Amino acid sequence: MTNVDALSFDLKGIQECQQNRYPQLFVDSVVDVVPGVSASGFKNFTYNEWFFPSHFEDDPNVPGYIQIECLVQTFIMTFLCMDSYKGMKTNFVSINNAYFKRKIIPGDRLEIRATLDSLRRGIAKGSAESFVSEELTCSADFLITLPDVLETFKPRSK
Amino acid sequence: MTNEEKYNKAFIESFRVDQDRLKGLKYQDINAWDSIGHMLLMTALEDEFGIELDIDDITDFSNYEEGKKILSKYDVNLNI
Repeated sequence: MTNVDALSFDLKGIQECQQNRYPQLFVDSVVDVVPGVSASGFKNFTYNEWFFPSHFEDDPNVPGYIQIECLVQTFIMTFLCMDSYKGMKTNFVSINNAYFKRKIIPGDRLEIRATLDSLRRGIAKGSAESFVSEELTCSADFLITLPDVLETFKPRSK
Repeated sequence: MTNEEKYNKAFIESFRVDQDRLKGLKYQDINAWDSIGHMLLMTALEDEFGIELDIDDITDFSNYEEGKKILSKYDVNLNI
């Protein structure tokens, strides 16, 4: 269901919010973004992707680490869309409960649904799931930092 | 569980460190107490004691003993 108050971002808008760029940008559009709450993303995979010829020559499919990037790049849009965080770099702290359920192949359109559970002092906690034609492909829980925010809260002395 | 046990639990779970290591423990003494670990500890303490730490107290919280003094400002008595 589309939320009329939610935000949407095309490729240009996504790149204004986050610093991932080709060949490491793995989300084409982000819709239904409720800042500080949730976001949905889409990634269309064609055989022209740089990794398909090598993964694998006789059975092209999306590597697991790229599936995780699809999830997290949608997840970070839940807060990088906000003026106070827009354009900031993010780092992984942890990836937990990562499951891969279905192979993603050329021609598949991936839909990602991400939820932000909390964002406190530069540490974001949440989860994301991805689907192809409503079939679950991948899911994971994330702990992500905003180093520029975190820096302001670290102890002044040892 | 006493307040001191809750305080220790926050350190033990945030840093995965043994209780006998806590006395005298300082920021960056162990790998787990880095800037990220510090935020995890602050969140654990806030959740455990139902408080919201001020930014100056978060940046002054540089060792195990100093943390006890800081929490006393929030009416968290670690002797009970």
